[in-house]
Amino acid sequence: MEFNTLLASNTPVLLDGGMGTMLQAKGLVAGQHPELAALEHPDWLEDIHRAYVDAGSQIISANTFGANRLKLANMGKTVAEVVPASIAVARKAAGDRALVALDIGPVGQLLEPTGILPFEQAVDIFKETVICGVEAGVDLIFIETMADLQEARAALIAAREVCDLPVMVSMTFEERGRTFLGCPPAAAALTLEGLGAAAIGVNCSLGPKQLLPIIEELSRWTSLPLILKPNAGLPDPAGGGYDITPAQFAETLAPATQLGVKLLGGCCGTTPEYIALLSKAVQGRTVRANTTPIPAAVCSGTRAVPIDRVRVIGERINPTGKKLMKEALLRQDVDFMVRQALEQTEAGADILDINVGLPGVDEVDMMCRTVKAVQAVTDAPLQIDSTDPAVVEQALRLYCGKAIVNSVNGDEESLSSLLPIVKKYGAAVVGLTLDKSGIPQTAQARLDIARRIVAAAESHGIPRRDIIIDCLTLTASAQQECAAETLKALHLVKQELGVKTALGVSNISFGLPLRPQVNQNFLTMAMVYGLDLPIINPNAAAMMAAVRSYHLLMNVDTDAREYIAAYGGQTAPAAPTPEGGSRSLDEVVRLGLKGEAAPAVRLLLEQGAAPMDIVNNTLIPALDAVGADFEAGRQFLPQLIQSAGAAQAAFEVLRAHLSAAGQAPDRSNIVVVATVKGDIHDIGKNILKVLLENYGCTVIDLGKDVAPEAVVSAVRRHNAALVGLSALMTTTLPAMADTIKLLRTESLPCKIMVGGAVLTADYAAAIGADFYAKDAKAGVDVARKVFAQN
Amino acid sequence: MTAEITLSAPDTDEILRYMGMPPEKADDATRSLAVQCGQQLLSVAAPRWCGQIFELSFEAGGVRLDGGLLLGGLELKAHLDGCTRAMVFCATLGADADALIRRAQYTDMTQALALDCAAGALVEQLCDRIEGYIHTQYPGLHSPYRYSPGYGDLPLGVQCALLDLLDAHRLIGLSATDSCILTPRKSVTAILGLSDSPAPAHRRSCVLCPNTGNCQLRKSGGHCGI
Repeated sequence: MEFNTLLASNTPVLLDGGMGTMLQAKGLVAGQHPELAALEHPDWLEDIHRAYVDAGSQIISANTFGANRLKLANMGKTVAEVVPASIAVARKAAGDRALVALDIGPVGQLLEPTGILPFEQAVDIFKETVICGVEAGVDLIFIETMADLQEARAALIAAREVCDLPVMVSMTFEERGRTFLGCPPAAAALTLEGLGAAAIGVNCSLGPKQLLPIIEELSRWTSLPLILKPNAGLPDPAGGGYDITPAQFAETLAPATQLGVKLLGGCCGTTPEYIALLSKAVQGRTVRANTTPIPAAVCSGTRAVPIDRVRVIGERINPTGKKLMKEALLRQDVDFMVRQALEQTEAGADILDINVGLPGVDEVDMMCRTVKAVQAVTDAPLQIDSTDPAVVEQALRLYCGKAIVNSVNGDEESLSSLLPIVKKYGAAVVGLTLDKSGIPQTAQARLDIARRIVAAAESHGIPRRDIIIDCLTLTASAQQECAAETLKALHLVKQELGVKTALGVSNISFGLPLRPQVNQNFLTMAMVYGLDLPIINPNAAAMMAAVRSYHLLMNVDTDAREYIAAYGGQTAPAAPTPEGGSRSLDEVVRLGLKGEAAPAVRLLLEQGAAPMDIVNNTLIPALDAVGADFEAGRQFLPQLIQSAGAAQAAFEVLRAHLSAAGQAPDRSNIVVVATVKGDIHDIGKNILKVLLENYGCTVIDLGKDVAPEAVVSAVRRHNAALVGLSALMTTTLPAMADTIKLLRTESLPCKIMVGGAVLTADYAAAIGADFYAKDAKAGVDVARKVFAQN
Repeated sequence: MTAEITLSAPDTDEILRYMGMPPEKADDATRSLAVQCGQQLLSVAAPRWCGQIFELSFEAGGVRLDGGLLLGGLELKAHLDGCTRAMVFCATLGADADALIRRAQYTDMTQALALDCAAGALVEQLCDRIEGYIHTQYPGLHSPYRYSPGYGDLPLGVQCALLDLLDAHRLIGLSATDSCILTPRKSVTAILGLSDSPAPAHRRSCVLCPNTGNCQLRKSGGHCGI
């Protein structure tokens, strides 16, 4: 018997039931580790496995749920000791009556960004367990009880990279229809099917009744066989048990075959009796084949975006023609990218394009850092914009969800280098209708290239719903006849190939006056011709207005709800924000009025003030005054930060002004800041950063949980004169001491300041810091002192 | 043990105090920011908790739970004096609260501070309500204030063992890092002693609280209600 043979029939396949409760019934007491049962009580374990096989289980899970190196280290055991022993017991009980799965549960620590476990480390932890399990001869792999899609991805990628065995993946959902970490069934289905799972499903947390709607939702987004392994009902509030009987369980669960559930079993609280009754209840039932077409869609870890209407792809994270973005990339300012991302989703972007390619920038590194930071703060799916296979692969690996790759083209080399990566990570892909000989003039020739791209993608196993064709916009001022040709190509591609379409729109108006009106009209025309995914600047009100009007007029926006939500109460298109209140810049900063800072500083510039004079004669004195009030107890922390925020807004205008004038921004006074290894409380450090930037420091922010080596390397690379370290917990103070020690051992000529709730001046001195900063304001005073001396 | 707990908007004055702003000196803008952030945080918080009751045995080195895990240190032992059992519980506001605060740090640091402090106030409210619920389940029993790893000489390191004991990762999605920091961040583990007689008054005041020197609430004139 093979797993694939079991899957091929239309009869239900029985899994096993709970293990923990069974071990407790055998005599395992609280505090003993169930993971070690194969070593400590192999007879108990064998009995339990055998009871499940006797009850009808066709696939049993070896007792390896927690057998990963992180968990086992706490028990003084290794994966190599536990995994083969557990599998041997399961195999003995199964004989040739059942298949044995290597069972993989969560590692027990949360991955980034909610936790601090890096993705690749999780992949590595899972690989160790899988390699051991495969060597011990399991028939398949069962990844289960995952609440974090990123962790499920790590385990699935690990399994697929080290073996060819089928991998089942099951996640655990709350009654609200999401996992603890916010993943909806749609995102789980799109992502896990893309990564090559053999079956996907739902287990634990709730009883069969509560899980039925969740598995039903899952079934809408996948064509894979479905798994359902509920608990024995809901926890009994009075005790440690669950609230439904084996008969109720079997009776409620069996009809799930109608929803396409192929693999059925039980989780917490279920016993061989539950499985035996379930086995009877599914007798004679056939599993309904899942024939509903799967929608074309992409997703992040927390949101699925079906491409069933026009979806806006925000184009702003791209250095082409953007001076400030180029500078941000060169100084590795990931925060700048994140703010661009938030601004665009706020304006209505559904998907965000990310392009960080620029000479002088390590594109792989920058892409990974940007993807990581952006996906930590937005639920919009991402479009990875690069033609370098190494960049695309690393970005897709890290990306929690189903991304779009932008782009391949009709050239053989492009197709053969990128499509295998797109397939491996289950992404969607944009194909540009050009090849080595350039962009064809005619619509027909572009259709030919599109056809080639579709054929190549399908031959790599990429379904047509995941292929997006971009017919390319040419500049109307240079090649006027081409605008209509692009629209024609768009229409042909849509009609003949039935794929989704994308188009960068703004290029159409290059060189023309009043570009926004040309862009808006071209966008509307393109949507009428079948454009699904305009790649535009969502901050341009006219472009979003075109999309919203289109949805209104095409009866997509039912009852004009979205249109009215966006524009209700307005009688004329929103005018640009009126320039300036009557307040001076000094007053704006003292009062912390962020929104008025930019107009106030622009007014000074128009009056002919030099940027550096504005900084030295207005901004710094205003901040000093606020700082003095803070120290004297006349003003408080929120007000200090408000003023800093206003000053920061003013600095941004000055920076843009300097940059436009071709002046390099000041890169002296470099401070490296970090929250030390193991610590994740970084809000204090982030407040300090804003204040330091106000005083003209260039802040290299290494983030949280930063290893001593990373601090040393940043100080060396940037030649920083000052380092600021924060730690909030007694358990992470030693990491602070280690960091200081390493900086000293490496003889770096920098001063070190430290801060954080549990620190004292005495302790700071004892671990060798030069300065103790009791709050962010004190940190700024330290910096000014250090840089005044330099 | 668990039960659904519904939260309400956190107390604005408490948010202000956590923000380092004495409530009576707060300007209108800061006060309304605190109110707004309290509401916003409440709308994303997904409160969950789980707990178990344990028999206590007092030993030279500390207190043992059900003959298993030893909670080392003398201060907790003194604190639980007179209690025969304790409810050990953990609670979290969930990952979405963390995400909201993380996002705000990129756009508006004052708002981020207010959200962070609102989360602090809300997780305290959650614990208060859990404590209230526990007392409805154990009527007539009394408790000294709830005690957490990291207080006094109870090492923070015991946090991971408590989460394991409560099966917190599976039940409520709560885990700890290698440095024993709880993730999601807006979370608490606590030990609530249960006794037949009321705890002596001094064990219900700030004076003996091991956090008395560092307490942000106390510094800005507040009191957590112990």
